[in-house]
Amino acid sequence: MNELTDVLAAISHPTRRAIIDRLAKGPAGFLELAAPFDTALNAVTKHLKVLERAGLITREKRGREVVISLRGEPLRQVAGWVHEYERFWNERLDEFERHFKDKKHKEQKKT
Amino acid sequence: MTQSPKTIQFTVERTIPAPLEEVFDAWLSPKIPGTIWHAAEKFVLDATVDGLFFWTIRGTSHYGRFTEMQRPGRMQHTWMSPNTSGLESTVTVTFTQQGKSTLMTLVHAGLPDTDGGRSHENGWTYFLGMFLEQF
Repeated sequence: MNELTDVLAAISHPTRRAIIDRLAKGPAGFLELAAPFDTALNAVTKHLKVLERAGLITREKRGREVVISLRGEPLRQVAGWVHEYERFWNERLDEFERHFKDKKHKEQKKT
Repeated sequence: MTQSPKTIQFTVERTIPAPLEEVFDAWLSPKIPGTIWHAAEKFVLDATVDGLFFWTIRGTSHYGRFTEMQRPGRMQHTWMSPNTSGLESTVTVTFTQQGKSTLMTLVHAGLPDTDGGRSHENGWTYFLGMFLEQF
């Protein structure tokens, strides 16, 4: 249960989700990972520690460089905890939102 | 000794690009895609306090009673189906104006915390789904 709490906390921050997104494309070195973010390097280090504690990343030394890779397994575990009604309401609300977006779009076209 | 069953709840939020009253009324309209009434094979709806509703989808029936109806800010109803294992769960929807849009927050609470109530195999969320496809 603790692990699940750690994983949920880890994915609650947009920067950490962006790091996960980047790592989903393949392993990366620290500086490469930190480059897109407009934050101090030690802030990125802190984010990586949170991700590591949740078991979402692993670090491996390759020569002088440390290569960071993604571990997807904890995310699958989180997905397994989602209630089917949560999926149901998300689908309903997605459709509801889409209806209003389409309507707005059509109204803007008319004017 | 009786133990009250362990229950869970979750929250789903969306920002809808329309005014408060319009969104509130639309949520109760069978004409609007995304509402449960729109998706229903059959339904009965009396959207007043102590009014009852019934709707069925893919052969599964759902029943409930409206417990709050405060247009345009908030509505609450109970929710019973075979998936709630005899528990009366509650669905609370609040509508908050945000500029020209409306923030809609849906809280489904009092759901049984059982394996049957959860969807281990098919479970995914809208945001996690994107990540999972890549693994």
